[in-house]
Amino acid sequence: MTPQAHLFFDDVEVGMTVATPAITVTGAHVGIFEGLVREPGADPGGVPDLLPLCLAIGLGWRAPAPPLVVLAFMRFEWEFVRPVRVGETISSRARVLNKRAMREGGVVVEEREILDAAGEVVQRGRFTFLVGRRPKEAVA
Amino acid sequence: MADLRRYFDDIQQGEEYESPGRTVTETDIVIFAGLSGDYNVLHTDAEFMKRSIFGERIAHGLLGLAMQAGLFTRATQAYATLAFVGLRWKFKGPIKIGDTITLHAKVIAKKETAKPDRGLITLQRMVLNQRGEVVQEGETDLIVERRP
Repeated sequence: MTPQAHLFFDDVEVGMTVATPAITVTGAHVGIFEGLVREPGADPGGVPDLLPLCLAIGLGWRAPAPPLVVLAFMRFEWEFVRPVRVGETISSRARVLNKRAMREGGVVVEEREILDAAGEVVQRGRFTFLVGRRPKEAVA
Repeated sequence: MADLRRYFDDIQQGEEYESPGRTVTETDIVIFAGLSGDYNVLHTDAEFMKRSIFGERIAHGLLGLAMQAGLFTRATQAYATLAFVGLRWKFKGPIKIGDTITLHAKVIAKKETAKPDRGLITLQRMVLNQRGEVVQEGETDLIVERRP
């Protein structure tokens, strides 16, 4: 059987969890980020607060699970528990809190955490996505 | 050197700031995809997106969020910020290649904290496109030093 390539709204189950691989945050990441967004001012060795969050989204695509068919990222609430430093290795964890069907798909709320190498939470919050339904022709 | 940062005491509730504009380019989106590792088709597949409700590739939501953080630093004198503690954020509409975004921010709350050397500032932020449509909006909480 071909592994499933995508996770549609219909496939999402409340309580599902996904853990991502990890990534080491380097000075190069910080330099590219600061150049891109022009948010200067992180102290030497510091990491802009939004950078781990951006990296965590990419880590989600490398998780050993089919990615959610996200039609739109609707909103999120986020807490920065502590600053991250260059050289730290972070990973991310997500858990589905609830799902609600809508006409064009469904809303999925996830709890997300960014963890340091020791497994301590450095950032956390809730993401709300609009997720696509499985197309009729794709039904196995 | 003179300390030009603005302290908790200097910042008044109701203050508003307007940033310069920034045109979001394809390059910005490509660099952000490479940096974040988020290659979702929404941002990277022009042909697929022609058939989508957006009609073309759109910027990553978090790219818009990160860009407004940069625009904030160009909208006002720097705060003596100790920490960015949290945010509540809504993605209301797409940012497309070639759109020009600006940030409108307003101080909506000032609160004392348990520590006497700092306070909490809450800003309401709106990211507008060139047509004046709000594409992102939310609130950010910053811990700012008190004047020494």
